[in-house]
Amino acid sequence: MPNLMLLFTIPFLASLLVLIFPVWSGKLLQKIAITLSFIPLIILIVGHSSWIGSHIEYPWIPSLAIEFHLSIDPLTLVFLYLTAFIIPISLLASIDTVPHHPNTFYALVLLLEGLLIGFFTARDLVLFTLFWESMLLPLYFMIVLWGGKEKEKAALKFIVYMIAGSALLISAVLALYLSSANTSADSSFNFEVLAKTAESNPYAAWLAAIFLLAFCVKTPLFPFHAWLPDAYCQASTTGTILLSAILSKAGIYGILRISMEFFPTYMQMWSPILLGFAIAGVIYGAFAAWTQSDFKRLLAYSSFSHVNFVLVGVFVISQTAQSGAILQALNHGVTIAALFLVAGWLEQRISSTSIGLYHGLAKYLPQLCWVTLFFVCASVALPGTNNFVGEVIILFGLFEDNPWLAALLATSVVLSVIYMLRWMQKVYFEMPSPRHALWHDMTTKELLIAMPLIAVILWIGIYPAPLLNQIKPAAEKIVSIASLEVSE
Amino acid sequence: MNTTLDLVDFFSISPFFIILAAALLVLLAEAFSEAFAKNVSLPLTLAALAAAVYAIAVSPESVNPLLTLWIRFDFLAQLFNLFFVLIAFACALLSASFFRQYPISQGEYYFLLLSSVFGLMLIGSAADFLTLFIGLETLSISLYILCGYMKNWGMSNEASLKYFLMGALAAALLLYGIALVYGAVGTTNFDALLNGYNNIASTQGSVLFLSGIALVTLGLAFKAAIVPFHVWAPDVYCGAPTPVTAFMAVGTKVGAFAAFVVVFFVALPMFNAGWNNAIAYLAVPTLIYANMVAIKQSQMRRFFAYSGISHAGFLLIPLAVNTPEALTALLFYLAVYAFATLGSFAVLATVDVRESGASIHDLQGLFRRSPFLAAVLALCLLTLAGIPPTAGFLAKFFVFKVAFQSGYYALVVIALLTTILSAYYYLRIIATMFMGVSEEVPRPKKSWMAAVVGGGAIASIIALSLYPQPLLDFFGF
Repeated sequence: MPNLMLLFTIPFLASLLVLIFPVWSGKLLQKIAITLSFIPLIILIVGHSSWIGSHIEYPWIPSLAIEFHLSIDPLTLVFLYLTAFIIPISLLASIDTVPHHPNTFYALVLLLEGLLIGFFTARDLVLFTLFWESMLLPLYFMIVLWGGKEKEKAALKFIVYMIAGSALLISAVLALYLSSANTSADSSFNFEVLAKTAESNPYAAWLAAIFLLAFCVKTPLFPFHAWLPDAYCQASTTGTILLSAILSKAGIYGILRISMEFFPTYMQMWSPILLGFAIAGVIYGAFAAWTQSDFKRLLAYSSFSHVNFVLVGVFVISQTAQSGAILQALNHGVTIAALFLVAGWLEQRISSTSIGLYHGLAKYLPQLCWVTLFFVCASVALPGTNNFVGEVIILFGLFEDNPWLAALLATSVVLSVIYMLRWMQKVYFEMPSPRHALWHDMTTKELLIAMPLIAVILWIGIYPAPLLNQIKPAAEKIVSIASLEVSE
Repeated sequence: MNTTLDLVDFFSISPFFIILAAALLVLLAEAFSEAFAKNVSLPLTLAALAAAVYAIAVSPESVNPLLTLWIRFDFLAQLFNLFFVLIAFACALLSASFFRQYPISQGEYYFLLLSSVFGLMLIGSAADFLTLFIGLETLSISLYILCGYMKNWGMSNEASLKYFLMGALAAALLLYGIALVYGAVGTTNFDALLNGYNNIASTQGSVLFLSGIALVTLGLAFKAAIVPFHVWAPDVYCGAPTPVTAFMAVGTKVGAFAAFVVVFFVALPMFNAGWNNAIAYLAVPTLIYANMVAIKQSQMRRFFAYSGISHAGFLLIPLAVNTPEALTALLFYLAVYAFATLGSFAVLATVDVRESGASIHDLQGLFRRSPFLAAVLALCLLTLAGIPPTAGFLAKFFVFKVAFQSGYYALVVIALLTTILSAYYYLRIIATMFMGVSEEVPRPKKSWMAAVVGGGAIASIIALSLYPQPLLDFFGF
């Protein structure tokens, strides 16, 4: 069984190494940092499904009954793959220019990788909460140090919104701890113990709401998305990729791991309302994206819209919908990272993020145009791409529950096509603007970075069976817990 | 009746002797030659404090009733003594950094600092209300003068007078409370208080006792700057010179809570459920008020006054809970608070350029000028805000856990909600540090003394964030 301690500590050690590295060459530091960021991905792929079941369990702070308990199961493994894949991509996105204070920049990203691995594998509720909140710090510093014009305001809004959303999390954690003393011998923060005793707490509805609020603010579920456009737009490309591809998945994982396992009856009870919010979010995000004149903001709303699509799958309690949601979470991460990547390359060339500043760039940047168009097609769920598989499965799951809502959701796909193709048309097609010197087409480096994303999108789109088989046990577990609670 | 002190008793009180002797030596040196004192006061102070640490570690426990009636020698007393000496060590270094900029006579300053430490040690080791009062007064009088040490600063004189007038009133009320307790129980000795209270026959007696305790709490709450007895704190912290503010923010706060611990954990644990509820009720306005007003502050010294009031509110929570586990939580929280505040003041010492001290504007763009200083201050502020994964989060979690286990659910929820407010104002300062730098902002000064204090604080915070169990075991005696 591969060593989970190794997987957990390598990003932290790498972060420390990069931080103290004497900066006599930013380029060298960049290469070292990117190489180090690939290590978790390599060891995950080498071990693949033999990672399932590996765990670490030490008593960390006995006075507070906090254990250092990490373990990997099928659900965790999917999100670990996503994290290990996206972090190197996000670092590669900034490969053309060395950011100022490169030590701090790369150290923060690697630190974030470590915290995310800890978060997805944590099995002690306080440890989970600790990693949940710590994730915000590297991202906050990334926005505030390397962001755009209004970075301070956006960063502060982002972190205060998040902290406010998870403010009462500690009280909910403590309440669950106390109620776990009723059935088992000792109270504990261990997930397995708490999952059995969570709903016996007299305030279980409030606790479920508190946890759900924290996760919904991070994902974000409509209407808790006020922090999203500014944070996504003001962060640098690396920051935006990390926010959109991984942070939102942390929220989804939280709902799947905690809300579904600890409070299944409440999730079933509230499922109609939550579905309503999620579908409203899909449609609202789509319409908001349609009206944007800034393509980074457009992609931010598009990301928001698609994440709410994933949440639709999460809130329907059937195996189909849950598998679809987990798969689509992975897909969305890959696709949105790709989209922000090409948007970042476009921004570098035209030095602006507004649509309509220059037209007809396909004439001067044909390769960038085609790569962008490919990722756009992936985003709108063209059959053959990964999003199609995920969204279709979610729609199947929703159709079994409520056919009319599924029909409504299916029409939102049309909306996504509208705003995405509008962007492509306005920027790449139509009458070409006069040429600028900076407009060079994709370099080999950029093509090489885009290749793995294209490969993953096509692979999951054409041959999703292996991945779906790996996701199946996770979805089954969630549904079985739900049906167990209902039958009791 | 034993009327003599043996040699071993002198070793038991050696920490007190060392501090007192050093204080008098520094004063004498200053009296004879100011130039000589300028060179020798800091090394003498630091040496005395280091010797005191050693003495605290090895001093035996005395059983002579001449001493034990007045001074405790148990583990908690030694712990507090150690704590105070370490705080004084850090503050002495910060003061030295300050005096490099304002080269005035320093001997009296170090004398007063050592006297305050002596007073603090008396508070921590008190076995009797009178010792507690003496310690509190020694601390207060030294601080009144320290606040006004910069004789040419108008705001300093004003702060000193305000502190003196209000402090004298609070001390009078404290003393009256002690007198009422004596009237009810017939003794001021801590060992006899609980039994005395439980044996009170008449309601008249218990009313007398409870009023006395209420006044004692009031007097101590003044020192700890708890709403509504906090009114002196913002002005006094703002007017005093920065190292004195650092000592007040850390030393006096720990001292006031040491007094609370000594009276309400050692002498009178869980004596009256009504008192515990009253403390819980005091915590709520403290938390709400301090966190709301701190948002608007731009002067850093005044900001730390409100930050201190807010943390005093958090510290009232384990005081209200009043179990042995709550004592561990309170001590751990005090330790983390002390490290984080000392680290912050170490950084502020480097940007302290004018009478009114650093303002938030002086911190703008600190990251560009000195990433190390900005990182230290950022980490300390995040610890104070209680944001994971810092030790501040673990300290707050421990406090909330003991409160939850004793049933104070509403208090925990209010404290969590005010934590959001506190996160906002601490993050605002951090955001300012990471802004672009403008030329009108003064450059930070280099100071090895501030570096030592800041480095020590950061190392402790990081160590506590990763592996707090040893310290929790140490406090969990």
